[in-house]
Amino acid sequence: MKPHANRLPPDTVRLFAGTQVDRTRPIWFRLDGRQYSAFWGDTVLSALIAARVDTLGTHNGSPLGLTLQSAPAIVAAGASAERVTALSMARTPALENLDLVTLGPRRAKGLGQLFFSGRSLGLALDAQGALDEPWRKQSARSQVSTDLIVVGGGVAGLAAALAGARSGLGVVLLEAQLHLGGHSGLFGRQDGEDAPEDSMARLAQDVRSHAAIQVVTGAHVFALRPGKVRAHVTDLSEVTTKGAVTDFTAPRIVLATGTFERLPVFGGNRLPGVVGALEAFELAFRYGIWPGQKALVATSSSPAYRLAVLARDAQVSIDRMLDSRPHPASRFIEFSKAYGIRQFPGTWLGHAETVSRGGGLAVHLGEDVPVATDRLVVSGGWQPDLTLWHLGGGPSAWSTERNRLEPFGQIEGVALAGGAAGYFTRLGCIQSGADAVDQLLGRPRRPIEDPLIDPLYESADGPSPISPATEGPPSYLDGGHSLLERPQDKPPTVLARFLRMPKNLDVLAQAPQPLTLGEVAAGVDLGLIPPPSAGIIAAERVALVPLATPGEASPAPAHADLPLVPAYLQGRFQEARVRRVLPIEARTLDTGALIFSTPDERNPLLAVGVVIRQQGPFALALVSASAPKAVIVRDSGREVPSRLEELPE
Amino acid sequence: MSEAVADFVLFGSTPLARLLAGLLAAEHKRTVIFVGESQAAYRLPRGTDLSLAPISRPETWQMLRDGVGETTRLLSRIGGRGSWSRTDPILFADGEAGKEAIAHMRQMAISFGIAAERATPSLLGAGRTGTLFRDAVRLHRPVLEPRLDAWLEQVGVRRVSPQSVEIAADGGAMLDVGEDHPLAARQTILADDASILAHLAELPGLLHRQTMSSILTRPTHPIAAPVMVHVDAAMTLEQGKGGGVSAWGPGDLAEFSSRLHQLLGANRRVEQAGQTSYQSVSTGDGAPAFGRLGGSGADVIAGLGALGVYFAPSLARWLSGASRSEEELWFAARLVEREAASSTVAEFAPQHDAGSAQ
Repeated sequence: MKPHANRLPPDTVRLFAGTQVDRTRPIWFRLDGRQYSAFWGDTVLSALIAARVDTLGTHNGSPLGLTLQSAPAIVAAGASAERVTALSMARTPALENLDLVTLGPRRAKGLGQLFFSGRSLGLALDAQGALDEPWRKQSARSQVSTDLIVVGGGVAGLAAALAGARSGLGVVLLEAQLHLGGHSGLFGRQDGEDAPEDSMARLAQDVRSHAAIQVVTGAHVFALRPGKVRAHVTDLSEVTTKGAVTDFTAPRIVLATGTFERLPVFGGNRLPGVVGALEAFELAFRYGIWPGQKALVATSSSPAYRLAVLARDAQVSIDRMLDSRPHPASRFIEFSKAYGIRQFPGTWLGHAETVSRGGGLAVHLGEDVPVATDRLVVSGGWQPDLTLWHLGGGPSAWSTERNRLEPFGQIEGVALAGGAAGYFTRLGCIQSGADAVDQLLGRPRRPIEDPLIDPLYESADGPSPISPATEGPPSYLDGGHSLLERPQDKPPTVLARFLRMPKNLDVLAQAPQPLTLGEVAAGVDLGLIPPPSAGIIAAERVALVPLATPGEASPAPAHADLPLVPAYLQGRFQEARVRRVLPIEARTLDTGALIFSTPDERNPLLAVGVVIRQQGPFALALVSASAPKAVIVRDSGREVPSRLEELPE
Repeated sequence: MSEAVADFVLFGSTPLARLLAGLLAAEHKRTVIFVGESQAAYRLPRGTDLSLAPISRPETWQMLRDGVGETTRLLSRIGGRGSWSRTDPILFADGEAGKEAIAHMRQMAISFGIAAERATPSLLGAGRTGTLFRDAVRLHRPVLEPRLDAWLEQVGVRRVSPQSVEIAADGGAMLDVGEDHPLAARQTILADDASILAHLAELPGLLHRQTMSSILTRPTHPIAAPVMVHVDAAMTLEQGKGGGVSAWGPGDLAEFSSRLHQLLGANRRVEQAGQTSYQSVSTGDGAPAFGRLGGSGADVIAGLGALGVYFAPSLARWLSGASRSEEELWFAARLVEREAASSTVAEFAPQHDAGSAQ
């Protein structure tokens, strides 16, 4: 395998040279027994993608691409049984002589692994929970307390951390990636702004140099309740890199979790070679990675045009761009036209399929001949990441105007900032970071500037495109670990028609897996979820990890504590009283056995009594005053001649 | 003023509410307005429609037996065979009170010809006892709901989403549906907990507001039966084909989650795939409650739990003044204005301090 096969040349334009990696410091590490080369600053995942590993494994007979969102958990070789130390491939730095294995069911074992294509991790993804994150089931091994927790190290989170520290608070900033800055880079700048990478670097530097702010990178927050978050942290402090679960507590929490890019729904949307515009940008910007020579871009959002222009600068061949919006306008579109990229507004793709084991995709656009490409870059618009907001009990509602879920309301001690709060511009995000701290401290709020460009010149995102269902590779509702496919509208079988069986009815209500925000949004687009219910469903189906301490079960009352006659027997018999009932034969009588006056009577409505419970050698019964002394007890259907006796005084 | 006054406006989103609205229109020739959501396909379950619940009174068992036959015949015609099936649920308990209640139920079920067997102790765990009941009927709400909706339209029930509702002291209602004139109905029926809580400013003394929670788990090991009811905790568990367990019962989310994890996960961690907390209505004596508030106001239907839909035919007759004599007696004994403390119709009611408020 050629090392760094997907790495852009070192003399690439500055923006795609790879800000995180030091190409002068090559390193080697092992994964699943194979040796990989990397640069200092790579993550394990970026190093794999640079080495042309682009496939997780197979799901429903179709290859599934390896992406930032879907990367599996890993663990140090020899410690594979110790899932407690599992790591995230996307949040683990590639270090010299690391020896790791991938967690998850394998397609083949032993010698079979030698015959895998070098591009695949060989996971058998049909198994339940194949991409589970082991740390979600673990309790915290340590706890850190502070005044303010900021989740997210993008520009809004950085601004919030600085505002908190400048207000005299001790701050812990938790960032999932190994670097600060967030994703502003893709969105470029507006008039009067500096370059996003300069802004990100300046804020990050200010945060790192502030004594009151503790920065924890590689910390993915996966559980929250007001006052507490739980994070999986990549722990680099010891000799061995390992994962650990830590609880962070604070009376104030800022959620600056940003936005994520939606995956458009089309057949083959998770094949190897299909990538989101943001992920393509991050791989190129942070690590200097761009697989293949040729790319096709399909979008419903304008930042993808900026990516196309930057990729063309890096000598990637991009011939055309599809845009689901009929009349898109953007400064980035004008730039891309200037680069000679053909524009196809109001056009969307049909489906994609792999063309060979060596890589490459055939993208069907409705033309006779599919378009061949090395990489398909897609963008389905942007959704505020409200996962933690929902975990904390925060509400949201679907905006039909902006085709996304938006937060509303408040949670005591929790505030949203930046893209997660719904802001669009870098200025708006930065100001909202400081505003979130003002909100938590009960200070007067200041208006936030979020200067959107006139839609005449900068079109809003279109609805996330949906392609017609096809027989080809599966289409998924979202990227990530859940692998929830688009419901198939297959014709019912003869038997199903005869029985009037439902089609795909358990897709959402009973699908035993959480639903991501992307899946809920896709459910709205597909008509599976009514828009007014989308916010409620997103909150109901968020993957919640309970942070409460399990309570002790209260002891069950013993017989002696029970009332002699339970409430549900009151009024059952005329002038009822408690008497002893003694079977003629030696046996015990079960609670609830009905008592009749005659052997012929079986109607429960005509019973004259009922056995309450066994007490020593006798059974106690509640019987009507009119019951004779000699009675028939029907115990579990069996006739037991018995006699009634008064209770002793 | 309204151009025409309907006989009933019925609020509710359960199969009971739908079936009752349709029966009032189709069988009893009343004009009916229906206000209810269709959400069974995508919302977490907050209840089930099972022909079994912790009941111990023979007159209720008899009403249930008759109702199950009538309802399943009706639903087979409306919803097709896929809309319901038979299952063998287990009722189980840890505490002595719950164990005794189950014993009474077992004997009563056998008396009514229903096979009921003690569940193998190893299936349930140490210190726990339970009974397996054969051939209970369970409705499939996601299948049934759209078919009931189509049937409602077919039998002339008008379905609306009013912007505002005014319920008068005499039980009549005015509904603003955004048209020139409001819709009017002579009698209001609040047929589920959500509608009772939404439209009554104050609950009658018998009814209590209760915090409930519903949790769906990721696939886990098979539980002892597809449907299980923990009678001590009033918790129902259903395991779907994919292995996920839906559970609902009293308590706020943290408390309920803790109880569920203890129940399912003594030796394993169970992951949640969905969860919600909501308000419901319980009765002070554990028995169902019917009738007009204050004797002349809106009709309420409360406390039927999983059994509700099987009482729809008898409820439709009762609300139309066409009850059989034994039905008339049964409903008359369970009017909502009764006193819980001196109740002669009480059923087993687990006591939950948390989450309940008078």
